[in-house]
Amino acid sequence: MNLNRRQFLKLSGATAATLAVVELGFNDLQAKAATKKLKIAESKVTPTICPYCAVGCGILVHTKDNDVIYTEGDPDHPINQGALCSKGTSLRNMFTSEKRLQKPLYRAPGSDKWEEKDWNWMLDKITSNLKKTRDASFIEKENGFTVNKTDAIGCLGGAALDNEETYLLVKFMRGLGLNYIEHQARI
Amino acid sequence: MEYIKYIDVTKCDGCRACMVACKNWNDLPAEFEEFHGSYQSHKKTTANTWNVLTFTEHVTADNQFEWLYRHSSCLHCTDAACEKVCPENAISYTEYGSVVINADQCVGCGYCVQNCTFDIIELATKKDENGKEYKVAQKCTLCTDRIAEGLQPACATVCHTDAIMFGEKDKMLKLASERLNQVKERYPNANIYNPPGVGGTHTVYLLAERPSVYDLPENPETSYTAKLWKDVAQPAGKLLLGASVMGVVGAYLSNRLFNKEVDESSLNEGGKDDEQK
Amino acid sequence: MIIGANPAENHPISFKWLLQAQENGGKIISVDPRFTRTSSKADMYGALRSGTDIAFIGGLFNYVIENNLYHKEYVAKYTNASFLVHPDFDFEDGLFTGYDEAKRSYDRATWVFQRDAEGKILKDETLTNERTVFQLMKKHYSRYDVDSVIAVTGTDKESYLKIAQTFGATGHPDKTGTIMYAMGTTQHTVGSQNVRSYAMLQLLLGNVGRPGGGINALRGESNVQGSTDFALLSHILPGYLGVPTASAKHATLKDYIENETPKSGYWVNKPKFIVSLLKAFYGPNATPENEFGYHYLSKGNKNYSHISMFEAMYNNEIKGLFAFGQNPVVGGPNAGKEQAALANLDWLVAVDLWETETAAFWTKEAGMNPADIKTEVFLLPAAASFEKEGTVSNSGRWMQYRWKAIDSKGEAKADLEIIHSLATRIKKLYAGDTSAKALPINALYWNFGHGDHPDIDLVAREINGYDTVTGKLVANFTKLMDDGSTASGNWIYSGFYPEDGKNLSKRRDNKDTGMGNYLNWSFSWPVNRRILYNRASANYNGQPWAKGKEVIWWDDLKQEWAGYDVPDFLKTKAPSAAGGMDPFIMLADGVGSLFGALNEGPFPEHYEPYESPIPNAFSSQEFNPTIKVWTGKRNDKGGIDKYPIVATTYRVTEHWQSGAQSRNQEWLSELVSDMFVEMSEELAKEKGIKNKDKIIVTSARGSIEAYAMVTKRFKPYTIRDKQIHQVGMPWHFGFKGFVTGAIANHLTPHIGDANTMIPEFKAFLCDVRRAD
Repeated sequence: MNLNRRQFLKLSGATAATLAVVELGFNDLQAKAATKKLKIAESKVTPTICPYCAVGCGILVHTKDNDVIYTEGDPDHPINQGALCSKGTSLRNMFTSEKRLQKPLYRAPGSDKWEEKDWNWMLDKITSNLKKTRDASFIEKENGFTVNKTDAIGCLGGAALDNEETYLLVKFMRGLGLNYIEHQARI
Repeated sequence: MEYIKYIDVTKCDGCRACMVACKNWNDLPAEFEEFHGSYQSHKKTTANTWNVLTFTEHVTADNQFEWLYRHSSCLHCTDAACEKVCPENAISYTEYGSVVINADQCVGCGYCVQNCTFDIIELATKKDENGKEYKVAQKCTLCTDRIAEGLQPACATVCHTDAIMFGEKDKMLKLASERLNQVKERYPNANIYNPPGVGGTHTVYLLAERPSVYDLPENPETSYTAKLWKDVAQPAGKLLLGASVMGVVGAYLSNRLFNKEVDESSLNEGGKDDEQK
Repeated sequence: MIIGANPAENHPISFKWLLQAQENGGKIISVDPRFTRTSSKADMYGALRSGTDIAFIGGLFNYVIENNLYHKEYVAKYTNASFLVHPDFDFEDGLFTGYDEAKRSYDRATWVFQRDAEGKILKDETLTNERTVFQLMKKHYSRYDVDSVIAVTGTDKESYLKIAQTFGATGHPDKTGTIMYAMGTTQHTVGSQNVRSYAMLQLLLGNVGRPGGGINALRGESNVQGSTDFALLSHILPGYLGVPTASAKHATLKDYIENETPKSGYWVNKPKFIVSLLKAFYGPNATPENEFGYHYLSKGNKNYSHISMFEAMYNNEIKGLFAFGQNPVVGGPNAGKEQAALANLDWLVAVDLWETETAAFWTKEAGMNPADIKTEVFLLPAAASFEKEGTVSNSGRWMQYRWKAIDSKGEAKADLEIIHSLATRIKKLYAGDTSAKALPINALYWNFGHGDHPDIDLVAREINGYDTVTGKLVANFTKLMDDGSTASGNWIYSGFYPEDGKNLSKRRDNKDTGMGNYLNWSFSWPVNRRILYNRASANYNGQPWAKGKEVIWWDDLKQEWAGYDVPDFLKTKAPSAAGGMDPFIMLADGVGSLFGALNEGPFPEHYEPYESPIPNAFSSQEFNPTIKVWTGKRNDKGGIDKYPIVATTYRVTEHWQSGAQSRNQEWLSELVSDMFVEMSEELAKEKGIKNKDKIIVTSARGSIEAYAMVTKRFKPYTIRDKQIHQVGMPWHFGFKGFVTGAIANHLTPHIGDANTMIPEFKAFLCDVRRAD
């Protein structure tokens, strides 16, 4: 039984937009919906890949008025063919959750609370700390070998980053001289 | 055209995407319940949780262990007690076979909640513009809004095992009976749950075990009082409204049906547009 | 066969395809210590006590060999079964030849093949010589007869035999079978050998490189494949190049290349890959004169893996930590200790979508007194996956593009931008500095656009690789050179962006190009190949082993390999040519390694988990003789006197990893909203525990409180007349989010696999009691 999950009656609403994803490319995915009744009728549809496990399912993100109004399985994706599990289905929540962090937060030594700070302040303070710790711990040569390392700084994580991000991260951290570079694949 | 949601519980692997898809499509809030001692999240469907996956640990007669799942949601009865008891006519059947509640007409009396054969409907508490609380009955709509636009219900679209399928009634029932033969070897008590006592349903199950194992009534019937109210008292009332009103309603209905048929036949045959391409 | 994995719960859409295979007549076997949602859909279920995979698989080796079920032609030519092993290689009482007890490691001098005067390996393709790998393997696993095996694993005999028979039948050339595994396999002190045992079974049955075959690691995070390929790990550089160490063998680039490049197999090209990587890292600052900047790379002198990192942090050796979306306060082994270690930091930078338990480790709700903690904490809001652009690589190595759907929520920024901003700022701080410590940073080639906004396209081009003179993109890694004329940030990905305007990860042609390979959908490394070692899908003559099992085949007319996939073989090398029957091109010998050395030895041998409820029945070596045993504070080992119950941790469909994502979202939180511990009705009765009671679980590391979930899905094991109980629990819970609960990893130990140091989350000892 191979029921076409995209449609059972006719093409309309979200399905028309879905077709556009494949046939027209992705630059402008305005849904040309025939109706105003469906909540996704005039949404912009963008394909993405599920951020949870590594099966790699396709998801369509419906956005409208700077909000994510619906997320659903990408019917054109050869792996999931429109289906998703409970986690993939919940993707919309990742945007709408009231618990999303929206501002950089800083906690001073000994403090019992977070403070909101602006990005520049945070980035400058982090890099100044980083330089201080690195300079204090840097070893150029050890037992006759050039080692150019610091073993006083660690870097954790990255299994949910994009490839391009992991590449920059590894280049940056190796460039600094870190050896403690680890992420979720180890545990 | 009459459609049904066909649920083959033997294919379900319990992922609960159907529960999330329903909330996502229908913009429903989460409801946190106490720990139930199993993987089940909600004891039963509620006004804001329109389908619940039930988890049942079952030992069969020949001492085989089975972990059984069931997507529990409105069965969309053909003779729906909720529709019959509603004093405001807020509950109606659609052309697709779904049973829907019109929130604007609902006064939150709770008759439908009390009379639901399968204990599905519940009242949601909402607030009006003035902050005043009011009640409204809510349940699965079979995604009638989606059906009207040619989409399947959100729970069927998302299901990765084809445990939830949606389609024309005859086709789905045929699938169910074919599948029944296939699963009998593993599940000798398997059966199709489409109870005649409520005139059949538009959510039809292929169950792996007897209905009672899934907390479903073995031989449900639309309650006598519900029938009495709707099938005797209300028609009598309508008679009092006069023939002209009924005439308008009848014409409206037939017009709707006729138009729908035209739409579909042209689509089914491909239509002119297709030929020109 | 699904073993050490639970795809119905943790990789549900992979299970979609398993269920379809089942409808087509395939059989699903679920082997697991507990009955899962996967087990409920399987055709057969085999219970095995946690930590006994090698016994289970060793028994299958024995069954398959004794019953002549192995794929004889495949084994004879495509594996090293026929190779003759050194005459002094031996095995006795759990130890192979060459063990040094003081060092807890082996001298591998005898773990080698016999060679003739010209250095060619001696073989016996009849497989009868008693020094052949095949005969040694047969002898080794003759100890793993069914009764001995089930006396260790606790599997009931009927189920075991049914599984052996069913999976063994895939040794027929007409059939294939696959093995799916995940963390249930790897998170053991013998994790690497567990995986190896599966691979060996598949070689024995001729199931590697064939459609519907292989061993499939079901990876748990959207890009954990990519982040591994890109080497966010202490022991490797991008593309699985070994990290250079502070040692004589790596003293110079020349030394590194000489000592790390094998004499045969595809890795002979390693010099091209390492030099191109150095050119990508250091750009024009990498010259032949300075060994292409080789000395700028950090060189370590010890183990730097996760457990080691936190032991060092606990001992005050680490002062600063970046955490990009990782949450060790919940997800780390011995998490209580890891949380305490964080308090020794001067600073912590956490980059996440949520306030994780790790970011909040210093708070009262974390059980700490904030005033005592001097750590400066920076929490940077990160963009969600659909709020930025980039690629992720799935378990099948498909590199898929994600387009940006919406601007980031609030002030959240993409990690790419955060990393770029930090790098450009630190380079600015060191600008003009000529001291030794400044040189490596000043030399780092960072050319990804202006200001704080990196151009992802420039990153993609550097990964793919380019000609360093013309700047033109290289077609793929076969064009990389070792003279500095090319740069490539990750050779295995080279080819995804072969020319301007052609980023193949963006492809969305979903037409099946044959056997479900979808060659025009996205890009799969290497060079868009979907099935690795697919030369093995064809027989000696280059023809498919069976009808309906075609992947590639030798086209005699065209004199090249044709088929449904990119050949994992030199396209024009005929089966009759030299090496034309050596499918495993990445290996020096060109064949699959039935005999292949990991730290514990060339054949997987059963050892009990570090914390075990019962003595090892196979030898007097109780646990893996080559693991590092951590000493010092908070590394206590639990014994059966106090902790008689086996415990294991796992995940559920509705939550993800440490729960940071899922517990901060309502729709997932409501589905599983409480921390629970699953146990059998028998154990519950023994302990006076009722379903839904609050209980306390204790181990040598700590104790947690949770709800009891009493279930028929857990059963006690009867092992050599002793009843052994097992409990299990999810490790998703913590103290932040919509739903909270005790952290399971407060119970787990700092003990890791001997090769990878992956922690033993899956088998440790505990005790349970009612909370009141």
